[in-house]
Order: sequence, then structure tokens, then C-alpha cells
Amino acid sequence: MKEEIIKIIEEILEVPAGTVTADTMTEDLDEWDSLAQVMIIGELEGRLGISIPLEEAVEVKGVADLLRLCGAGN
Amino acid sequence: MTEISNGNQIKIAVLSNVNLNFVIRKLRRVFCVFETEGYGNELGTMMDRESAYSRFQPEFTFLLMELSELVRSASSAAEAKEVMKDWFDGLEGAMVPGAVYYLADGYFRNAESDLNAFSLLDQETENVYNGLLKELMARKENVRVFPLARMIRKKGEDQVFQPKLFYMGKIPYANGFQEELAAEISNLVTMERRTPKKVLALDLDNTLWGGLAGERQHSEILLSDDGQGLIYKNVQRLLLRMKESGVLLVIASKNNPEDAWEIFDKWPHAVLRRKDFAAARINWQTKDQSLREMAKELNLGLDSFVFWDDQPAERELIKSMLPEVTVPDFPEKAEDLPGALTRVFDLYFRKGRVTKEDQTKTESYESNRLRQELGDQIRDFDDYLKSLQMTICRRDPVENRERLLQLLNKTNQFNLTTKRYTAMELSSILEDPEKKVYLYQIGDRFGDYGITGACILDLSDKPLITDFVLSCRVMGKRIEEAILKDLEEDVKAMGKTMLQGRYVPTAKNAPVADLYEKYGYAVISSQDGGGRVYELNLEKAPERKCFATWTKEGKE
Repeated sequence: MKEEIIKIIEEILEVPAGTVTADTMTEDLDEWDSLAQVMIIGELEGRLGISIPLEEAVEVKGVADLLRLCGAGN
Repeated sequence: MTEISNGNQIKIAVLSNVNLNFVIRKLRRVFCVFETEGYGNELGTMMDRESAYSRFQPEFTFLLMELSELVRSASSAAEAKEVMKDWFDGLEGAMVPGAVYYLADGYFRNAESDLNAFSLLDQETENVYNGLLKELMARKENVRVFPLARMIRKKGEDQVFQPKLFYMGKIPYANGFQEELAAEISNLVTMERRTPKKVLALDLDNTLWGGLAGERQHSEILLSDDGQGLIYKNVQRLLLRMKESGVLLVIASKNNPEDAWEIFDKWPHAVLRRKDFAAARINWQTKDQSLREMAKELNLGLDSFVFWDDQPAERELIKSMLPEVTVPDFPEKAEDLPGALTRVFDLYFRKGRVTKEDQTKTESYESNRLRQELGDQIRDFDDYLKSLQMTICRRDPVENRERLLQLLNKTNQFNLTTKRYTAMELSSILEDPEKKVYLYQIGDRFGDYGITGACILDLSDKPLITDFVLSCRVMGKRIEEAILKDLEEDVKAMGKTMLQGRYVPTAKNAPVADLYEKYGYAVISSQDGGGRVYELNLEKAPERKCFATWTKEGKE
């Protein structure tokens, strides 16, 4: 699940595989702007069949937050 | 013949009152896309002639408006109507001639939509918007519909709208749908750039109806309102719509002609009738021969033909004998036929906009056949031309720029230099005081051919005819002589004594290789590729015959 989520993030950001890790923060990548942020949430919800509460979604700061919200955190 | 320009040189803009930046990002991989400053203010962006948008000069602008946002401030239906009216007025004022505008049709959905479902409120708003769009299209020939509503219905609202994205970033659509929007925009631009096919050559048995026309005594023909018969009736309905949008339908069938024609003439469920076909070969010769004959009869190249036949062997024959002809696959199951035929239309025939000439094309070819028959009866060519009672008049190139562009870009045979133009390039020619554009409408006793001739004169140095095109529908009637005479008189009236013309050979335009020689022009220079420049001293011009009468709009 964790790998799948990271793969989805890389797809939306259009960065090479391996760029994104569990520790990547939004500010680490130029590609990860506010539009990409919304697209990542939209894609995760669609592909994984989950729903991330809006108030949490707007607070996402990096991969770790996303993994936790998708239920794949540690 | 038109070359599809490299995609990333095509400039497009996507404007909206909601956030479509994801769509824009996707498109940027293929095209040169205008970088919007946020969203909303689409009219302001367009109206300001100094804005980055205006300087960018996009060839295609896609206005994908979210209707609920557009009328958000209105508190009543009457107010909403006013808002939409103002928006359309503003848009019309901001539009630049020559550029092409795709406007999404109206689709209304907001938070209250499910409550409104029983009151038709949303539909009323859509109707008003679509009514205004239709009016705009009637006035502006460079406006086309982007089928947003159709796309949403096809996918379904639950798949299209993702409220969370709207709350987070004013993005109304789910990622998947945004990708579809980008794909549709890309398809439309590609469609605008390709040269559409002109002729759809149709087989009959198991293609236009189920069963065999020649075996009717033993097994029934399937063409009706029920079951399998309805599939073929729908196929015929689709073909009739295609014909109305300018596709020439022709028949290439192995049958006894009486058996086949009887179905078109008498069968109660036949949607297509004999008159709907521009040409037909119903006989026992091979189909490559039939297609060759019809290409000659219609005066069109075989590369403008698409061949639609259920028999794999016939398709293989055409592919190997006539590689210029496009041969799409035929579906295995009858129920897939209407869908497959629609895709054939989209791929090869669809145009951004249907012109008046397109709508009456088949009739025009039909009258051509009558003309040819008349030609057989009258032996002297001059008498024949006189008997045609041709008419010609100049038309305003600015008002008819869409047709002008079509003529310049689609004409292959009677085209002296075969220069192709983008809408923007044509616009700058129309505005250039050192260029003069002539557009001609031609008719005769059998019917109106519409606007079928065009010339561009470059007056920056010695007057030079840089472009001279004539639709193949009016070729062979010496109408070019009337046009040359018109140009020569016009140039003379400007006080000039010399007129030059140019010929650039292509694979298709051999019929006009000797045009200028024929009318007394002398070669003054030749290029390696066979191109030539000609000149005529207007004082010494040979006498010109004119078989056409100048009418109404006259010579200005």
C-alpha cells in the first residue's frame, strides 16, 4: 500500500521513480505545488476508494501525512 | 496535402472561471499553451489588447465556463439571464477575427442541483446559455461548440464532479475527467489541422442493410424499426446526417443494379434514397475499378476516399490495389456498427464547423452529372459553356474568411501555388494594405456552387498573383478566364501595366501547369523544382472570353 501511494504521488508530480520517499516533504520538490497537492488527494481518493477529510487534507505537509491519512502509516 | 505542424508550435489557450490548471498542464506536453494568471477574469484577459493573452495570439481559445459559477451572483432567473447576456456581449467584443473559439455548451450543476431536480430550474439556465451560444455562432463563423455537456452525461455526474477538489482549490472536476477534457481539446485541435476526407464509399449488403439484395425472395432484408433491422436503419440515419454535413456518399457494390435500387426507391424503412448518393457503381466489376471511375467522375483524388465494406477480402483488395484509399476495420458484430461508423466520421470527416457549401455538396455533384450529360449533347464547347448560363460575383473575403481558409487549404488540383495558411496568417493577409484578396461565388442554371474561387494579389512590388485556387466543382468551364480578366482589369485600374503569376508544381496540380501560358503569360524565370514565374503586359493582353455573367454583389 505504501509503495502504491508513493507511486501515485510520483505519477501526479511527473517525477522519476525513486524521487519520492516516505520522508519527502512538500517543500522538498518544486513540482509539489498547491495544484499538485489537490490532484494527489483527488487521485488517492479515486484510486484507493478512500475519503480524506477536507480539514485534514488542507494540512498535509508531506508523504508521511498522506500515508497516515490513507491508513498506511506506521 | 496539409502538413500537420509540429504540435508544440500550435498556440492554444484554455480559459475558465474555475481552476483548470491541471488540464493546461496536461496539454502543455503537446501544445504551446497560454499560461493563465489564475482563473476567472477570462473576459478581462481577452478584452485587454495589451494583455499577455493578446500578445500570445492563440490560434485556438477554449472557453470552458462553469455555468453555476458564471451566474452565481444572480438571485433570480431574470438576473441570471442578464448576467449571461452581458457575458456573451463582452465575449463577442473581445473576439479577434481569424482566431478560433471553442465554447463549452451549458451544463449547470451546483450544491442545490439535487433539490432543483424537480423544478427544471437548472435546465432553464442551460437553455438560456445555449440559446445565446447559438445566436453567437450564427453571427460569428469562428465560434464552435465544445461538447462539455455531452461528455459529462456520458461519464456521469458522480464520476465527473468531486466536491472536495472544489472546496480545496476551485477545481470542479475529478482528475480522470480533467484528463478527458485535455484529450478532447487535443483531438479537436488535431481535427482542425488535418485535411478531412471527402467521400465515403459504401458497400450495400450487410453494410447498409442486413442480408443480400439479390436473395430477397429467399431471405428477408434487415432494415426496419425492430431488432437487427433497427441497427441498419440507425446506420442509414447516421449516414444521412453525415451527408448533410458535407460527406459525399457513393456506392461500390457487387449486385444487380435493379435489385439494389429497388430497396432505395421502394423499401419503406430506407432512410437513404437514390438522390443521397453523389455517384454509384452497382455492377460485377472489381471494386478498385469502381472507385477509380467514381474518383474520375467526381473529379476528386482517391486519397479523399474512405472505403466501408463488411467483406475482409474487398477491404484487402482496396488496400493493396489503391493504397491512397483509407480502409477502416469493419466491426464483427452488427450492433457495433453505428458506434464504429461514428468513429469513422470523427477520425476522417468531422470538421469544426459545417459551411453552407458543405450542406449542399451532394446536390452540387448531382447537378454536375446533369451538366456532363448536357455537355454530351452540345458539340461545340463555347456553345456548351454559353448554355450553362454561368454567373459569377465577388464576395467579401473578410465576411467569408472561414470559407476562404477552407478553399486555400483544401484545394489540391486547381491550386497554382498550394500555399497553406493558418487562420492567423490569413488574418494578417486580410489586414495587409499591400495584399488584395478576391473571393468568387459561382453558379449556373443547374444550381449554385457557392464560394468556389479565390485569389491573392501581392501589390508590394510588381503586382503578383501569389495564390489562385478554384474548387474542382467549377473546373473545366473556363471560369478561370473570367477571374483572370477580373484581376487584370482591376490591376489596370490601379494604374499598373504588368501582372505576374506563379506556378509551383505538386503531386496534384498538374492540370493547371500550363494555365498562365494558355492565357498569354510569358515565363520570366524557372526554378529547379519546375516552379515558374510568369508575366503579362496588360496593354498587350489577348482578348478574354467570359462565359459567365457578373451578378448582384458584382465587382465591388
